[in-house]
Amino acid sequence: MKISLILGITACFSIALADQETLVLVDNLNIRDTHSQFFKSLQDRGYLLTFKLADDANLLLSKYGEYLYKNLIIFSPSVVEFGGQIDTETITKFIDDGGNVLIAGNAAAGDVYREIATECGFEMDEDSAAVIDHFNYDMLDDGDHTRIVVSPKNLINAPTIVGSHNTQPLLFEGTGLILDKDNSLVLPILTADSTAYSYNPKSQVKEYPHAVGRKTVLIAALQARNNARIVFSGSLFFFSDEAFNSPVSKVHGDKMKADLSGNKALAVHLSEWAFGERGRLRVRRVHHHRQGESQSSNTYTITDTVVYRIEIEELKNGKWQPFEANDVQLEFVRIDPFIRTTLQKKPNGVYEAVFKVPDVWGVYQFKVDYDRVGYTRLYHTTQVSVRPLQHTQYERFIPSAYPYYVSAFSMMIGVYLFSFVFLYYKEDTPKTKSE
Amino acid sequence: MSSLTSVVPKLYQEYITKTPKKLKIIDAYLLYVFLTAVIQFVYCCLVGTFPFNSFLSGFISTVSSFVLGVCLRLQVNPENKNEFQGLSAERGFADFIFAHLVLHLVVINFIG
Repeated sequence: MKISLILGITACFSIALADQETLVLVDNLNIRDTHSQFFKSLQDRGYLLTFKLADDANLLLSKYGEYLYKNLIIFSPSVVEFGGQIDTETITKFIDDGGNVLIAGNAAAGDVYREIATECGFEMDEDSAAVIDHFNYDMLDDGDHTRIVVSPKNLINAPTIVGSHNTQPLLFEGTGLILDKDNSLVLPILTADSTAYSYNPKSQVKEYPHAVGRKTVLIAALQARNNARIVFSGSLFFFSDEAFNSPVSKVHGDKMKADLSGNKALAVHLSEWAFGERGRLRVRRVHHHRQGESQSSNTYTITDTVVYRIEIEELKNGKWQPFEANDVQLEFVRIDPFIRTTLQKKPNGVYEAVFKVPDVWGVYQFKVDYDRVGYTRLYHTTQVSVRPLQHTQYERFIPSAYPYYVSAFSMMIGVYLFSFVFLYYKEDTPKTKSE
Repeated sequence: MSSLTSVVPKLYQEYITKTPKKLKIIDAYLLYVFLTAVIQFVYCCLVGTFPFNSFLSGFISTVSSFVLGVCLRLQVNPENKNEFQGLSAERGFADFIFAHLVLHLVVINFIG
């Protein structure tokens, strides 16, 4: 009894821990000190960080087909090739299997970074290119105007990802990203100002830069279809203690000033989102039944009134709690949606719709497809069949049909009488008689 | 126009004098069936097709009765004797009744 209890507790504990196992790949172990605040915030939230050099020959992501880590942080821009069993392919597979990745690079980031970025739907600018902004650089900039000040207004409007209290200017130093406009899964978290461009700061601008103005994305994110999350920052400096603690004062323009940059708040929020602490939804229960009945049924008759209930939960502070929204929609689909309606919010995260099944029979699906920026994709379908009325369910003796009844019966009586007349009529010398 | 006015009374006269009485009885029956069909159709146009199966069965019963009546008339007509060698008028009438039995079974099944 006791042993099983202990085993159960450890099992629970290890499940809880399994979500928090995080591998951190770094260039040199110095990064542990230069980025200590960021790592400390992760550790405070219960993550078990395993620091490894990116070119460590014993690197492993999975063992015997099981992943050792749920999250991966890559803070090693200068790596030429990962050591051990890690390469772009394994990282892509890790993402395909639902792992979360946080990557930060800089202007010197190598081809491995570019490969990972391309796999995730971003494009990193060329080698040694950095984002330059001659109008929005920080006072502490060393002359290249690459330590740029970004207004929090340039953040994506998605409180689940970036938090709702970003008022301090942000410091950024690194390379720019370009996003494919057609890729709807990729999100530009932070974009540069319209005066920015991405080029090698040491050389003269000879070609048109790849990323110019607002198209220069500084931090990008991807939520894959399997709900794996990737945050890709062009700047490792963004997560550093230096950036967290540094005051901001812009040299030109509105001379934006702040005693402390907003980097820390944003970095913490981003990591919370990336590692699935925020914006996670799940369906707890789905119930549908004919109005007035309580039993669920998988067959409905045409024009029945159906009640559909779905219970949605959101992960908040480590607990599944009722999800609050007023834009969840339900579709009743047979190839095309026949009915699309907004679900009414009820207490305790229950959403309800009452609707009339269309007058067309076939195999239908109740479909809830809730896809919002920052939230996991919620997709739930339930298949039901809708059958026509049974033979006994039709209305009988409809008043407006009486003429038809009368005509049908008169045809019978008509043929009956006609038979008598026809059979018993004797044609006696017809021609003379008719004259 | 003048030809038409002269043709119609002539046609009527011919019909009155030349057609056997038995065929005239059938014609009267056919006229009755036809009028019932027309009334039903007009009613349906006015009221709408709501009990569509009822309308269909009522209308089809009249149309089929009409067709069967015409068939009987063809077989009974003495002028078509050569066409129906070996088929007496009584045989034709028996067929007519049998077809009616089947028709009304179907109609009653479908009307409700």
